[in-house]
Amino acid sequence: MLSRAILLLATVVAPLAFAQTPSATDENATIAEPEKVYRSKVRAEFVELGVTFGVVNIENFTSEFLAGANLTFRATEDFFLQVNYVQASDASLSSAEKRQGRAFDGDDRDFTHYDLLVGYNLFQGEFFTGGATANLSALYVVAGVGDTEFGGESRFTYTVGLGYQVAFNRRYIVRFDMRDYLYESSLLTDDNTTNNIQLSAGISYLF
Amino acid sequence: MSVSAFAEDAPAEKPVVAPMRLEVIDPYIEVHTGPGRGYPIFYVIEQGESVDVLKRRAGWYEVRSHNGKTGWAASAQISRTLQATGEPADLPSVSFGDYLKNRWRIGFTSGEMFSGELDGADLFSATASYRFYSWLGTEIEIGKIFNSGVEGDFYNANILVEPFSRWRLSPELLLGRGVMSLDSQPELTPLDIDDSDFTNYGLGLNYYLGRNFVIRGEYRRYSASTDDDKVKLESWKIGFNTFF
Repeated sequence: MLSRAILLLATVVAPLAFAQTPSATDENATIAEPEKVYRSKVRAEFVELGVTFGVVNIENFTSEFLAGANLTFRATEDFFLQVNYVQASDASLSSAEKRQGRAFDGDDRDFTHYDLLVGYNLFQGEFFTGGATANLSALYVVAGVGDTEFGGESRFTYTVGLGYQVAFNRRYIVRFDMRDYLYESSLLTDDNTTNNIQLSAGISYLF
Repeated sequence: MSVSAFAEDAPAEKPVVAPMRLEVIDPYIEVHTGPGRGYPIFYVIEQGESVDVLKRRAGWYEVRSHNGKTGWAASAQISRTLQATGEPADLPSVSFGDYLKNRWRIGFTSGEMFSGELDGADLFSATASYRFYSWLGTEIEIGKIFNSGVEGDFYNANILVEPFSRWRLSPELLLGRGVMSLDSQPELTPLDIDDSDFTNYGLGLNYYLGRNFVIRGEYRRYSASTDDDKVKLESWKIGFNTFF
Protein backbone atom coordinates (compact mmCIF):
# COMPACT_ATOMS: atom_id res chain seq x y z
CA MET A 1 0.00 0.00 0.00
CA LEU A 2 2.75 2.39 0.99
CA SER A 3 4.82 1.61 -2.06
CA ARG A 4 1.82 2.19 -4.25
CA ALA A 5 1.21 5.53 -2.63
CA ILE A 6 4.83 6.54 -3.12
CA LEU A 7 4.78 5.41 -6.72
CA LEU A 8 1.68 7.37 -7.47
CA LEU A 9 2.86 10.36 -5.58
CA ALA A 10 6.17 10.38 -7.39
CA THR A 11 4.57 10.18 -10.79
CA VAL A 12 2.05 12.82 -9.86
CA VAL A 13 4.28 15.28 -8.12
CA ALA A 14 7.35 15.14 -10.34
CA PRO A 15 5.85 16.58 -13.51
CA LEU A 16 3.58 19.00 -11.72
CA ALA A 17 6.39 20.45 -9.76
CA PHE A 18 8.48 20.95 -12.82
CA ALA A 19 5.89 21.85 -15.41
CA GLN A 20 6.82 25.06 -17.09
CA THR A 21 4.51 27.68 -15.78
CA PRO A 22 4.50 31.26 -16.86
CA SER A 23 6.38 33.29 -14.33
CA ALA A 24 5.56 36.84 -13.51
CA THR A 25 7.84 38.90 -15.66
CA ASP A 26 8.40 42.59 -15.63
CA GLU A 27 9.55 44.76 -18.46
CA ASN A 28 13.11 45.01 -17.17
CA ALA A 29 13.58 41.28 -17.41
CA THR A 30 12.50 41.40 -21.04
CA ILE A 31 15.37 43.68 -21.83
CA ALA A 32 17.92 41.89 -19.72
CA GLU A 33 17.29 38.31 -20.85
CA PRO A 34 14.91 38.20 -23.76
CA GLU A 35 15.37 34.51 -24.44
CA LYS A 36 14.49 33.43 -20.93
CA VAL A 37 11.41 35.54 -20.84
CA TYR A 38 10.27 34.24 -24.16
CA ARG A 39 10.68 30.69 -23.01
CA SER A 40 8.58 31.24 -19.95
CA LYS A 41 5.92 33.25 -21.73
CA VAL A 42 4.61 30.44 -23.85
CA ARG A 43 2.66 28.19 -21.57
CA ALA A 44 2.82 24.48 -22.26
CA GLU A 45 -0.28 22.33 -22.19
CA PHE A 46 0.95 18.81 -21.67
CA VAL A 47 -0.48 17.30 -18.50
CA GLU A 48 -4.00 16.10 -17.90
CA LEU A 49 -5.42 15.05 -14.55
CA GLY A 50 -8.58 13.02 -14.69
CA VAL A 51 -11.14 10.95 -12.86
CA THR A 52 -12.84 7.87 -14.21
CA PHE A 53 -15.94 5.88 -13.30
CA GLY A 54 -17.19 2.61 -14.67
CA VAL A 55 -17.66 -1.09 -14.27
CA VAL A 56 -15.07 -3.83 -14.04
CA ASN A 57 -15.88 -7.44 -14.60
CA ILE A 58 -13.62 -9.47 -12.31
CA GLU A 59 -13.28 -12.84 -13.99
CA ASN A 60 -14.80 -15.71 -12.00
CA PHE A 61 -16.28 -13.15 -9.64
CA THR A 62 -18.71 -10.29 -10.14
CA SER A 63 -18.99 -7.02 -12.01
CA GLU A 64 -18.35 -4.09 -9.74
CA PHE A 65 -18.63 -0.33 -9.86
CA LEU A 66 -15.21 1.23 -10.04
CA ALA A 67 -13.71 4.67 -9.62
CA GLY A 68 -10.25 5.96 -10.29
CA ALA A 69 -7.87 8.74 -11.17
CA ASN A 70 -5.37 9.17 -13.93
CA LEU A 71 -2.60 11.41 -15.11
CA THR A 72 -1.76 11.79 -18.80
CA PHE A 73 1.37 13.27 -20.31
CA ARG A 74 1.16 14.26 -23.95
CA ALA A 75 4.53 13.29 -25.34
CA THR A 76 3.96 14.01 -29.00
CA GLU A 77 1.05 14.75 -31.27
CA ASP A 78 0.44 11.00 -31.47
CA PHE A 79 1.79 9.42 -28.29
CA PHE A 80 0.94 9.89 -24.65
CA LEU A 81 1.89 8.29 -21.37
CA GLN A 82 -0.73 7.61 -18.75
CA VAL A 83 -0.76 6.53 -15.09
CA ASN A 84 -4.02 5.05 -13.86
CA TYR A 85 -5.30 4.01 -10.49
CA VAL A 86 -8.71 2.37 -10.15
CA GLN A 87 -10.49 0.70 -7.29
CA ALA A 88 -13.67 -1.33 -6.90
CA SER A 89 -14.53 -1.73 -3.25
CA ASP A 90 -15.97 -4.74 -1.51
CA ALA A 91 -16.74 -7.14 -4.34
CA SER A 92 -19.95 -9.03 -3.72
CA LEU A 93 -20.05 -12.81 -3.59
CA SER A 94 -19.49 -14.77 -6.76
CA SER A 95 -21.95 -17.50 -7.65
CA ALA A 96 -19.46 -20.10 -6.49
CA GLU A 97 -19.04 -18.31 -3.17
CA LYS A 98 -22.81 -18.13 -2.71
CA ARG A 99 -22.89 -21.91 -2.80
CA GLN A 100 -19.67 -22.64 -0.95
CA GLY A 101 -19.05 -19.65 1.29
CA ARG A 102 -16.67 -16.72 1.17
CA ALA A 103 -13.26 -17.41 -0.30
CA PHE A 104 -11.69 -14.32 1.30
CA ASP A 105 -12.64 -11.30 3.35
CA GLY A 106 -11.91 -7.72 4.28
CA ASP A 107 -9.46 -5.70 2.17
CA ASP A 108 -8.94 -8.70 -0.05
CA ARG A 109 -12.39 -8.11 -1.50
CA ASP A 110 -11.30 -4.74 -2.88
CA PHE A 111 -10.15 -4.84 -6.48
CA THR A 112 -7.36 -2.31 -6.85
CA HIS A 113 -5.34 -1.78 -9.97
CA TYR A 114 -2.77 0.68 -11.17
CA ASP A 115 -0.87 0.79 -14.41
CA LEU A 116 1.54 2.70 -16.59
CA LEU A 117 0.42 2.95 -20.18
CA VAL A 118 1.60 4.25 -23.48
CA GLY A 119 -1.14 5.47 -25.76
CA TYR A 120 -1.36 6.25 -29.42
CA ASN A 121 -3.95 8.49 -31.04
CA LEU A 122 -5.15 6.43 -33.98
CA PHE A 123 -7.73 8.72 -35.50
CA GLN A 124 -7.59 12.36 -34.57
CA GLY A 125 -10.46 14.51 -35.65
CA GLU A 126 -13.00 17.12 -34.86
CA PHE A 127 -16.39 16.63 -33.32
CA PHE A 128 -19.13 19.11 -34.10
CA THR A 129 -21.42 20.08 -31.26
CA GLY A 130 -23.19 22.82 -33.12
CA GLY A 131 -22.99 24.90 -36.24
CA ALA A 132 -20.13 27.01 -35.03
CA THR A 133 -18.10 24.80 -32.73
CA ALA A 134 -15.53 22.13 -33.49
CA ASN A 135 -14.08 20.07 -30.66
CA LEU A 136 -10.86 18.10 -30.91
CA SER A 137 -11.33 14.36 -30.63
CA ALA A 138 -9.32 11.18 -31.01
CA LEU A 139 -9.79 7.45 -31.03
CA TYR A 140 -6.82 5.97 -29.22
CA VAL A 141 -5.31 2.68 -28.15
CA VAL A 142 -3.37 2.07 -24.96
CA ALA A 143 -1.11 -0.72 -23.76
CA GLY A 144 0.99 -1.12 -20.69
CA VAL A 145 1.75 -2.88 -17.47
CA GLY A 146 0.70 -2.62 -13.89
CA ASP A 147 -0.35 -4.27 -10.69
CA THR A 148 -3.71 -5.76 -9.75
CA GLU A 149 -4.58 -6.69 -6.19
CA PHE A 150 -7.57 -8.85 -5.48
CA GLY A 151 -8.30 -11.80 -3.26
CA GLY A 152 -4.98 -11.49 -1.46
CA GLU A 153 -3.02 -11.70 -4.69
CA SER A 154 -0.82 -9.04 -6.21
CA ARG A 155 -0.31 -9.76 -9.89
CA PHE A 156 1.71 -8.39 -12.76
CA THR A 157 -0.92 -7.17 -15.19
CA TYR A 158 -0.95 -6.35 -18.85
CA THR A 159 -3.42 -3.66 -19.84
CA VAL A 160 -4.74 -3.14 -23.35
CA GLY A 161 -7.51 -0.78 -24.26
CA LEU A 162 -9.37 1.31 -26.74
CA GLY A 163 -10.72 4.76 -25.99
CA TYR A 164 -12.29 7.83 -27.43
CA GLN A 165 -11.72 11.36 -26.23
CA VAL A 166 -13.47 14.62 -26.96
CA ALA A 167 -12.33 18.02 -25.74
CA PHE A 168 -15.63 19.68 -24.90
CA ASN A 169 -13.80 22.86 -24.30
CA ARG A 170 -10.21 23.79 -24.22
CA ARG A 171 -9.42 22.32 -20.82
CA TYR A 172 -12.00 19.64 -20.14
CA ILE A 173 -11.67 16.37 -21.99
CA VAL A 174 -14.22 13.59 -21.81
CA ARG A 175 -13.00 10.03 -22.29
CA PHE A 176 -14.71 6.73 -22.89
CA ASP A 177 -12.59 3.65 -22.36
CA MET A 178 -12.72 -0.08 -22.74
CA ARG A 179 -9.79 -1.85 -21.12
CA ASP A 180 -8.76 -5.40 -20.50
CA TYR A 181 -6.61 -6.28 -17.50
CA LEU A 182 -4.83 -9.57 -18.14
CA TYR A 183 -3.17 -11.37 -15.27
CA GLU A 184 -2.51 -14.82 -13.92
CA SER A 185 -4.68 -15.65 -10.96
CA SER A 186 -4.49 -18.68 -8.71
CA LEU A 187 -7.64 -17.94 -6.75
CA LEU A 188 -9.68 -20.74 -8.29
CA THR A 189 -7.19 -22.83 -10.23
CA ASP A 190 -3.43 -22.50 -10.51
CA ASP A 191 -2.10 -19.82 -12.87
CA ASN A 192 -5.29 -19.17 -14.71
CA THR A 193 -5.04 -16.24 -17.16
CA THR A 194 -7.92 -13.90 -16.44
CA ASN A 195 -9.38 -11.17 -18.63
CA ASN A 196 -10.96 -8.43 -16.58
CA ILE A 197 -12.85 -6.03 -18.75
CA GLN A 198 -13.42 -2.45 -17.67
CA LEU A 199 -15.88 -0.09 -19.27
CA SER A 200 -15.54 3.46 -18.06
CA ALA A 201 -16.07 7.11 -18.72
CA GLY A 202 -14.06 9.95 -17.32
CA ILE A 203 -13.27 13.58 -17.47
CA SER A 204 -9.87 15.17 -17.32
CA TYR A 205 -8.49 18.66 -16.99
CA LEU A 206 -5.67 19.82 -19.20
CA PHE A 207 -3.17 21.98 -17.33
CA MET B 1 -14.36 27.85 -40.65
CA SER B 2 -14.74 28.52 -36.99
CA VAL B 3 -12.18 27.60 -34.41
CA SER B 4 -14.01 29.01 -31.47
CA ALA B 5 -13.42 25.88 -29.44
CA PHE B 6 -9.73 26.64 -29.39
CA ALA B 7 -9.97 30.33 -28.77
CA GLU B 8 -8.33 31.53 -25.61
CA ASP B 9 -10.41 31.25 -22.52
CA ALA B 10 -10.53 34.96 -22.08
CA PRO B 11 -11.05 35.50 -18.35
CA ALA B 12 -8.28 33.10 -17.31
CA GLU B 13 -5.43 35.00 -18.94
CA LYS B 14 -5.37 38.70 -18.28
CA PRO B 15 -2.95 40.26 -20.75
CA VAL B 16 -0.47 41.25 -18.08
CA VAL B 17 2.38 40.23 -20.33
CA ALA B 18 2.04 40.79 -24.04
CA PRO B 19 2.22 37.56 -26.03
CA MET B 20 5.47 36.63 -27.63
CA ARG B 21 5.56 38.28 -31.04
CA LEU B 22 7.63 36.82 -33.85
CA GLU B 23 8.20 37.66 -37.48
CA VAL B 24 7.64 35.02 -40.16
CA ILE B 25 10.69 34.40 -42.35
CA ASP B 26 9.39 31.34 -44.20
CA PRO B 27 7.32 32.13 -47.31
CA TYR B 28 4.29 31.43 -45.15
CA ILE B 29 3.05 29.67 -42.01
CA GLU B 30 0.11 27.35 -42.29
CA VAL B 31 -2.48 27.79 -39.54
CA HIS B 32 -4.43 24.63 -38.73
CA THR B 33 -7.71 24.37 -36.83
CA GLY B 34 -6.18 21.92 -34.34
CA PRO B 35 -2.79 20.76 -33.05
CA GLY B 36 -2.33 17.86 -35.45
CA ARG B 37 -1.11 17.37 -39.00
CA GLY B 38 -4.52 16.34 -40.30
CA TYR B 39 -6.50 19.31 -39.07
CA PRO B 40 -7.46 21.55 -41.96
CA ILE B 41 -5.47 24.66 -42.80
CA PHE B 42 -7.82 27.63 -42.62
CA TYR B 43 -5.39 30.52 -42.78
CA VAL B 44 -1.90 31.39 -43.93
CA ILE B 45 0.39 33.95 -42.32
CA GLU B 46 2.76 35.36 -44.90
CA GLN B 47 6.42 36.21 -44.85
CA GLY B 48 7.20 39.44 -43.03
CA GLU B 49 3.99 39.41 -41.04
CA SER B 50 4.03 39.20 -37.28
CA VAL B 51 2.62 36.27 -35.35
CA ASP B 52 1.82 36.03 -31.65
CA VAL B 53 2.64 32.73 -29.95
CA LEU B 54 0.07 31.90 -27.29
CA LYS B 55 0.39 28.30 -26.09
CA ARG B 56 2.42 25.21 -26.70
CA ARG B 57 1.26 21.64 -27.15
CA ALA B 58 3.30 18.62 -28.22
CA GLY B 59 4.72 19.54 -31.62
CA TRP B 60 2.48 22.57 -32.09
CA TYR B 61 2.11 26.21 -31.12
CA GLU B 62 -1.12 28.11 -30.87
CA VAL B 63 -0.64 31.33 -32.82
CA ARG B 64 -2.56 34.48 -33.57
CA SER B 65 -2.07 36.51 -36.71
CA HIS B 66 -1.94 40.31 -36.66
CA ASN B 67 -5.59 40.43 -37.77
CA GLY B 68 -6.76 38.15 -34.97
CA LYS B 69 -7.00 34.70 -36.60
CA THR B 70 -6.15 32.08 -33.97
CA GLY B 71 -5.05 28.56 -34.82
CA TRP B 72 -2.22 26.06 -34.60
CA ALA B 73 1.13 26.03 -36.39
CA ALA B 74 3.66 23.20 -36.45
CA SER B 75 6.63 23.89 -34.19
CA ALA B 76 9.02 23.27 -37.07
CA GLN B 77 7.55 26.29 -38.85
CA ILE B 78 7.55 28.46 -35.77
CA SER B 79 11.21 27.65 -35.26
CA ARG B 80 11.88 29.52 -38.49
CA THR B 81 10.68 32.86 -37.23
CA LEU B 82 12.51 35.88 -35.89
CA GLN B 83 12.28 37.66 -32.59
CA ALA B 84 11.78 41.39 -32.51
CA THR B 85 15.52 41.65 -31.92
CA GLY B 86 16.14 39.95 -35.27
CA GLU B 87 17.47 36.75 -33.72
CA PRO B 88 15.94 33.38 -34.53
CA ALA B 89 13.18 32.40 -32.14
CA ASP B 90 14.37 30.14 -29.36
CA LEU B 91 11.32 28.32 -28.17
CA PRO B 92 11.18 25.19 -26.07
CA SER B 93 10.98 22.11 -28.26
CA VAL B 94 12.11 23.92 -31.39
CA SER B 95 15.53 25.23 -30.43
CA PHE B 96 18.42 23.29 -31.81
CA GLY B 97 21.39 22.18 -29.78
CA ASP B 98 21.51 20.71 -26.33
CA TYR B 99 17.84 20.53 -25.73
CA LEU B 100 18.21 17.72 -23.22
CA LYS B 101 20.17 19.89 -20.84
CA ASN B 102 18.25 20.89 -17.72
CA ARG B 103 15.34 18.74 -18.76
CA TRP B 104 13.18 16.48 -16.68
CA ARG B 105 12.30 13.14 -18.09
CA ILE B 106 9.59 10.89 -16.77
CA GLY B 107 8.55 7.50 -17.96
CA PHE B 108 8.05 3.89 -17.18
CA THR B 109 9.75 0.63 -17.96
CA SER B 110 8.68 -2.96 -18.06
CA GLY B 111 10.73 -6.10 -18.38
CA GLU B 112 11.80 -9.41 -17.05
CA MET B 113 14.50 -10.94 -14.89
CA PHE B 114 16.23 -13.70 -16.74
CA SER B 115 18.73 -15.30 -14.43
CA GLY B 116 19.25 -16.29 -10.84
CA GLU B 117 16.63 -16.88 -8.25
CA LEU B 118 14.14 -14.47 -9.78
CA ASP B 119 14.41 -15.97 -13.27
CA GLY B 120 11.24 -15.24 -15.18
CA ALA B 121 9.98 -12.55 -12.80
CA ASP B 122 8.14 -9.66 -14.44
CA LEU B 123 8.91 -6.16 -13.34
CA PHE B 124 7.84 -2.64 -14.02
CA SER B 125 8.91 0.74 -12.72
CA ALA B 126 8.22 4.45 -12.92
CA THR B 127 11.20 6.70 -13.45
CA ALA B 128 11.97 10.37 -13.12
CA SER B 129 15.29 11.77 -14.22
CA TYR B 130 17.00 15.10 -14.54
CA ARG B 131 19.73 16.04 -17.01
CA PHE B 132 22.46 18.30 -15.74
CA TYR B 133 24.13 18.15 -19.13
CA SER B 134 22.90 16.75 -22.40
CA TRP B 135 25.06 13.67 -21.69
CA LEU B 136 24.76 13.27 -17.92
CA GLY B 137 21.74 12.80 -15.70
CA THR B 138 20.41 11.18 -12.57
CA GLU B 139 17.36 9.04 -12.25
CA ILE B 140 15.18 7.67 -9.49
CA GLU B 141 13.23 4.54 -10.10
CA ILE B 142 10.41 2.97 -8.14
CA GLY B 143 9.21 -0.42 -9.22
CA LYS B 144 7.52 -3.69 -8.55
CA ILE B 145 8.57 -7.22 -9.29
CA PHE B 146 6.40 -10.29 -9.58
CA ASN B 147 6.57 -13.95 -10.33
CA SER B 148 4.20 -16.71 -9.46
CA GLY B 149 5.52 -17.01 -5.93
CA VAL B 150 7.12 -13.62 -5.31
CA GLU B 151 5.96 -10.06 -5.09
CA GLY B 152 8.11 -7.13 -4.11
CA ASP B 153 9.18 -3.53 -4.44
CA PHE B 154 12.42 -1.90 -5.41
CA TYR B 155 13.73 1.62 -5.27
CA ASN B 156 16.93 2.83 -6.78
CA ALA B 157 18.89 5.85 -7.85
CA ASN B 158 21.05 5.78 -10.95
CA ILE B 159 23.53 7.91 -12.81
CA LEU B 160 22.97 7.99 -16.55
CA VAL B 161 25.66 8.71 -19.10
CA GLU B 162 24.51 9.22 -22.65
CA PRO B 163 27.49 10.51 -24.63
CA PHE B 164 25.86 10.76 -28.05
CA SER B 165 22.47 12.16 -27.15
CA ARG B 166 22.20 13.98 -30.47
CA TRP B 167 21.94 10.67 -32.25
CA ARG B 168 18.50 9.38 -32.92
CA LEU B 169 19.58 5.95 -31.68
CA SER B 170 21.82 6.65 -28.75
CA PRO B 171 23.52 4.31 -26.25
CA GLU B 172 23.34 4.97 -22.53
CA LEU B 173 25.29 3.68 -19.56
CA LEU B 174 23.70 3.34 -16.17
CA LEU B 175 25.11 2.82 -12.71
CA GLY B 176 23.24 2.91 -9.46
CA ARG B 177 22.26 1.55 -6.11
CA GLY B 178 18.99 0.54 -4.60
CA VAL B 179 17.01 -1.54 -2.17
CA MET B 180 14.68 -4.40 -2.86
CA SER B 181 12.15 -5.98 -0.57
CA LEU B 182 10.45 -9.22 -1.56
CA ASP B 183 7.63 -11.25 -0.12
CA SER B 184 6.60 -14.70 -1.14
CA GLN B 185 2.94 -15.02 -2.07
CA PRO B 186 1.20 -17.06 -0.83
CA GLU B 187 3.62 -16.91 2.06
CA LEU B 188 4.73 -20.52 2.03
CA THR B 189 8.28 -20.84 0.80
CA PRO B 190 10.96 -18.72 2.44
CA LEU B 191 13.25 -16.99 -0.03
CA ASP B 192 17.02 -16.79 -0.06
CA ILE B 193 16.65 -13.19 -1.07
CA ASP B 194 14.13 -11.01 0.66
CA ASP B 195 15.32 -7.60 1.82
CA SER B 196 18.51 -6.60 0.14
CA ASP B 197 20.65 -3.73 -1.06
CA PHE B 198 21.84 -3.95 -4.58
CA THR B 199 24.18 -2.32 -7.02
CA ASN B 200 23.10 -2.29 -10.61
CA TYR B 201 24.73 -1.35 -13.86
CA GLY B 202 23.39 -1.56 -17.34
CA LEU B 203 23.55 -0.63 -20.94
CA GLY B 204 20.62 1.00 -22.65
CA LEU B 205 19.68 2.18 -26.08
CA ASN B 206 17.49 5.25 -26.53
CA TYR B 207 15.47 5.79 -29.65
CA TYR B 208 14.21 9.36 -30.02
CA LEU B 209 10.84 9.07 -31.64
CA GLY B 210 10.32 12.78 -31.91
CA ARG B 211 11.86 15.36 -29.69
CA ASN B 212 9.92 14.69 -26.52
CA PHE B 213 9.34 10.99 -26.75
CA VAL B 214 11.94 8.29 -26.23
CA ILE B 215 11.76 4.52 -26.36
CA ARG B 216 14.46 2.90 -24.29
CA GLY B 217 15.69 -0.68 -24.28
CA GLU B 218 17.98 -1.79 -21.52
CA TYR B 219 20.03 -4.67 -20.20
CA ARG B 220 20.89 -4.55 -16.53
CA ARG B 221 22.89 -6.60 -14.03
CA TYR B 222 22.25 -6.51 -10.33
CA SER B 223 24.46 -7.56 -7.50
CA ALA B 224 22.30 -7.92 -4.42
CA SER B 225 23.63 -8.54 -0.95
CA THR B 226 21.35 -10.17 1.57
CA ASP B 227 22.21 -10.94 5.18
CA ASP B 228 24.50 -13.80 4.39
CA ASP B 229 24.72 -14.08 0.66
CA LYS B 230 25.41 -12.33 -2.61
CA VAL B 231 22.98 -12.84 -5.45
CA LYS B 232 23.46 -11.98 -9.10
CA LEU B 233 20.46 -10.97 -11.16
CA GLU B 234 19.93 -9.86 -14.73
CA SER B 235 17.06 -8.12 -16.43
CA TRP B 236 15.98 -6.67 -19.73
CA LYS B 237 13.56 -3.78 -19.95
CA ILE B 238 11.76 -1.62 -22.39
CA GLY B 239 10.65 1.87 -21.44
CA PHE B 240 8.77 4.89 -22.69
CA ASN B 241 9.79 8.36 -21.64
CA THR B 242 8.84 11.94 -22.23
CA PHE B 243 10.74 15.18 -21.60
CA PHE B 244 9.50 18.39 -20.10
